[in-house]
Amino acid sequence: MKDISKSVRKVDSLIKLSGKAKYVDDIKIEGMLYAKTVRSTKSKANIISITLPELPKGYYVVDYHDVPGKNVVSIVFDDMPIFTEKTVTYYGEPIMLIVGEDKSVVTNLISQIKIEYEELTPLFERTNSAINYNFVKGDSKKAFKEAKKIIKFDYETGYQEQLYIEPQGMIGEINGNKVTITGSVQCPYYVHNAVKVALGADNDEVRIKQSVVGGAFGGKEEFPSLIGCQLAVALRKIKKPIKLVYEREEDMEVTTKRHPSWIHMEAAINDQNEIDGIIANVEIDGGASIGLSAVVLSRALIACTGVYTIDNLEVAGDVFLTNTVPNGAFRGFGAPQMLFAVEMFIHHIAKELNIDPLKLRLKYLAKQGDETSTRGKYRDPIIMNDMIEKAMKISDYKNKLEIYQKDNKYKGIGMSWFLHGCGFTGSGEAEHIKALVKLAKGEDDKVNILIAAVDMGQGVQTTMKKIVSQILEIPLEQIIYNNPDTDLVPDSGPTVASRTIMIVGGLIARAAKQLKEKWVDGEALTVSERYKQPEYIKWDEKTFIGDAYPAYSWGINVVEVEISPITYQVTLKGIWSVYDVGKAIDERIIMGQADGGVLQGVAYGYLEVMKNENGRVKQKTVTDYIIPTTGDIPPMETILMDNPYPLGPYGAKGAGELTLDGGAPAVALAIENAINKTVTKIPVTPEYIMELMKNE
Amino acid sequence: MKNITAKTLLEALNLLNDGNYKVLAGGTDLMVQNRAWSNTLPKFKEDILLISNLKELKYINQEDGYIHIGSLMTLEELKHHELTPKLLVEALEIMASPAIRNMATIGGNIGNASPAGDSLPVLYVLNALVILQSIKSVREIPIEEFILGPGKKELHKDEMIIEIKIPINNFSNFSFKKVGGRKADAISKVSFAGAVKIKNNLIQDFRISFGAVGPTVVRKNDIENKIIGTSVADLKSNIQDILNQYGEFVRPIDDQRSNKDYRKKVAINLLEEFILNL
Amino acid sequence: MSKIKFTLNNKEVEIEESPTARLLDILRENFGLTGVKEGCGEGECGACAVLINDKVINSCIVPLGTVEGKNIVTIEGFSKTKKHQILRNSFEEEGAVQCGFCTPGMIIASESLLNKNPHPSDEEIKIGLSGNLCRCTGYNMIVKAVKSASKKGDGLW
Repeated sequence: MKDISKSVRKVDSLIKLSGKAKYVDDIKIEGMLYAKTVRSTKSKANIISITLPELPKGYYVVDYHDVPGKNVVSIVFDDMPIFTEKTVTYYGEPIMLIVGEDKSVVTNLISQIKIEYEELTPLFERTNSAINYNFVKGDSKKAFKEAKKIIKFDYETGYQEQLYIEPQGMIGEINGNKVTITGSVQCPYYVHNAVKVALGADNDEVRIKQSVVGGAFGGKEEFPSLIGCQLAVALRKIKKPIKLVYEREEDMEVTTKRHPSWIHMEAAINDQNEIDGIIANVEIDGGASIGLSAVVLSRALIACTGVYTIDNLEVAGDVFLTNTVPNGAFRGFGAPQMLFAVEMFIHHIAKELNIDPLKLRLKYLAKQGDETSTRGKYRDPIIMNDMIEKAMKISDYKNKLEIYQKDNKYKGIGMSWFLHGCGFTGSGEAEHIKALVKLAKGEDDKVNILIAAVDMGQGVQTTMKKIVSQILEIPLEQIIYNNPDTDLVPDSGPTVASRTIMIVGGLIARAAKQLKEKWVDGEALTVSERYKQPEYIKWDEKTFIGDAYPAYSWGINVVEVEISPITYQVTLKGIWSVYDVGKAIDERIIMGQADGGVLQGVAYGYLEVMKNENGRVKQKTVTDYIIPTTGDIPPMETILMDNPYPLGPYGAKGAGELTLDGGAPAVALAIENAINKTVTKIPVTPEYIMELMKNE
Repeated sequence: MKNITAKTLLEALNLLNDGNYKVLAGGTDLMVQNRAWSNTLPKFKEDILLISNLKELKYINQEDGYIHIGSLMTLEELKHHELTPKLLVEALEIMASPAIRNMATIGGNIGNASPAGDSLPVLYVLNALVILQSIKSVREIPIEEFILGPGKKELHKDEMIIEIKIPINNFSNFSFKKVGGRKADAISKVSFAGAVKIKNNLIQDFRISFGAVGPTVVRKNDIENKIIGTSVADLKSNIQDILNQYGEFVRPIDDQRSNKDYRKKVAINLLEEFILNL
Repeated sequence: MSKIKFTLNNKEVEIEESPTARLLDILRENFGLTGVKEGCGEGECGACAVLINDKVINSCIVPLGTVEGKNIVTIEGFSKTKKHQILRNSFEEEGAVQCGFCTPGMIIASESLLNKNPHPSDEEIKIGLSGNLCRCTGYNMIVKAVKSASKKGDGLW
């Protein structure tokens, strides 16, 4: 039996290489109309009146009056309206759609709309806490009371825009009472649920289909539910097919982004120069509605000790609501912010105590059997020591660190250690999702994978097929896996949280084994598997006590930089990574995820700037929001470790987000090494570097 | 809206004479600035005269001490041409991207008159002349008199840019530096062009310009003239004074790309580096 | 509106549209060539890249009037060539395709590069693709794929 990790050609490469893959804007439905969103031009205001131009025949306005069900986008926190009713809460908030056949006419009609606002005072400061979480471990009060020294630092992380190259959009049609909506989505069933609530509809009156997705990174996790609801309402009203695809600038200005964060860290140091306790306080800007922000905050707080085991903790955090664009899911989901703070903090502690940071980190590095930050347990082997050795060897870390520390040549090297809790936090999988998968074997002996998992480029259509192929011992070509359609597939859960291979793939593997036992040539058969939480995973979401995650993936990034003392610009000279994702279902696919993820993480750390000024996003074009080009990439090397996780298919754990988590601290530490200054904010732009170097 | 694609230069000049048109060559600035929803027309407020197919404006030759560049030469074509002044090639190499360079024209880069236009600091330092033609006349104007402000030019409504004329020069040291947000495909935060002629340690010619740090390119002939005739050693020992003098005229702004402190410091750093490397 | 004549994927075509209409829209709407993508509308991401007279150009900022008499090749037309076969083989082998949205533009840019420079160095490949943004792959596998194609396609370019 060959090793499943051995790479195969991805099943969807050819269709994409020939330009034949159909993304949502490529889809045409006969007689379709186009919808454009009319948006608020105030950060906070009451709408006093709306004066519409006379609408020609075949042109429609769709607003909150047309919502048959509830005017709310049902996500986690149901606090985002589908259309504004009375009060707008952020610049760009959707008030209505204008729909019609000719886009020029639609544009013209929109330009004639007059909205009278009563301006209110918008809130941009972090004073309105909508969610507060806090938990403790051990006795941090004692640790801080008896501390010989208390070290405090404040860290800050900025927005990050997903910038999937395909903008958001959906296209829909209606047949009788049934709406069918096809779109660029990560979670067809999230949209399905939200649309049911918006329409007050039954299960069989809503059908959601995934078109080929041109990148998502979390940006298409919850946001598409808003578009889906608006489209569904419009379909019910107008009863003709409608396409609603965003323009890029629109997408950048109004869709969810990574939460900016402000993280306060304190360490209680005893007289042996040991870290007795840590206090962490996290503030994230949720924007105008909570949505998924509470879940992002959760993950951030749980990540408060990174890869280290600290016995005494006091952890708290808030989601602040401001009159700015609502923020949401982005690969890492709270972990990148926290892990940046943790990695910088442990280095800053070492610097303050005059200890070798490497020694300090190794001292507290988690071991198998240790208690996690939430008093859970690291049940599985942790191979970080081996990974650290490998990472330092391939990058020549120790040597370079020493040379760069002394030589004043503005070269630097930095190393980050990080982990990612795989899957949903706590009981999410068992209590909310209850994933169900099916394998349907036809009389032709072809096997159809029926799951709601979306391939957004991460190769899930290939890897799922490989799992089934390996177990059933049939070729990939005998397996079908179409883009999910809620009419045809069960709800196996959203394509998020690095859960797809580990959880859904695990269920598919079990279903395949079932199918193998019951297989009869020429006979049709469908088997199913439903998720069962391992007995020992217990989580109390009120006290944050227990096992937050069933498994952890681990990673190391080393980044080398050179800084120009003339322009303060950073040139990446090399990126070396080592990852433990249990087992790669396809090595090349994981390596592709590794390359893409680390570049996003590193760019989050030094390149990508998005600021909000007076409630408006300042960098809202692809020209102004800088992401890396081929001109910016250094040589990159990645090692994948083998550390099979018993409950994952073939030992696989989560991989999708891990590879982004560590890039920012690695590049920030490299920059610190190069300029011999303390970095506490990302992105570490040339402007910030200049500021740091000025303060001699 | 009456949008026309001119087939000959004569046709274009006649149209400009008879009507009110905005001239569009490669479109890499105008099509971006006026972009609208997909499948609707760009939001041009004026009639457009497309001139990209005028073969008469695609040339580069050397004659009577000048390099003559037709305004429709694309940035990529110029980048590869042996007659293109080397300092200009340095700028062209790091401008935009291959796809944009294949369409963007040198005439367009000048006509857009962006404070951050990358060919401009070079053209100022090379003492380039812009040749404008109307149906009635042809005239030459130094580039620093042609560009009046962001998007503003000394251009009559019946004229178009037909050529850039650059005196042939033999600089002993020259350098173009672009500071953008990333290594490729970026709008400049600051740019710098320097060209010097040194013989027997004496400075025979000294030219400096900065881009993206003011409404137009910053070049100070009076500071340059005081340096010409002095020695390299004197220049280097007076460097702080020179930097201070230039500092007065480098007055950048804050915007979504960067801030004024950074732009100013980096501009002066680039000048310092240039001088110290002589 | 004007009549504009050009060659599209090896066929001579003539249409009557506004000379300022975006070439991208004409290709996608009038000719159904949806392989040419809109990623940004600003000429910045390269997803809309086509070949005009063998050179890579971003069709979202090309006014239709400028393509009179020119030879346009989109990913659909290029797909039929031997050079595409070599490129797509290499892209597949190296894992250079993830979400695929940047892919047609990348292929077009690669073809434009190899046309001018059949044996580019890694640096030259990076410059040639510097106008094509990818958010998924980190670019490495794409650069490797182009290098591999240039070696395997010896004599084709």
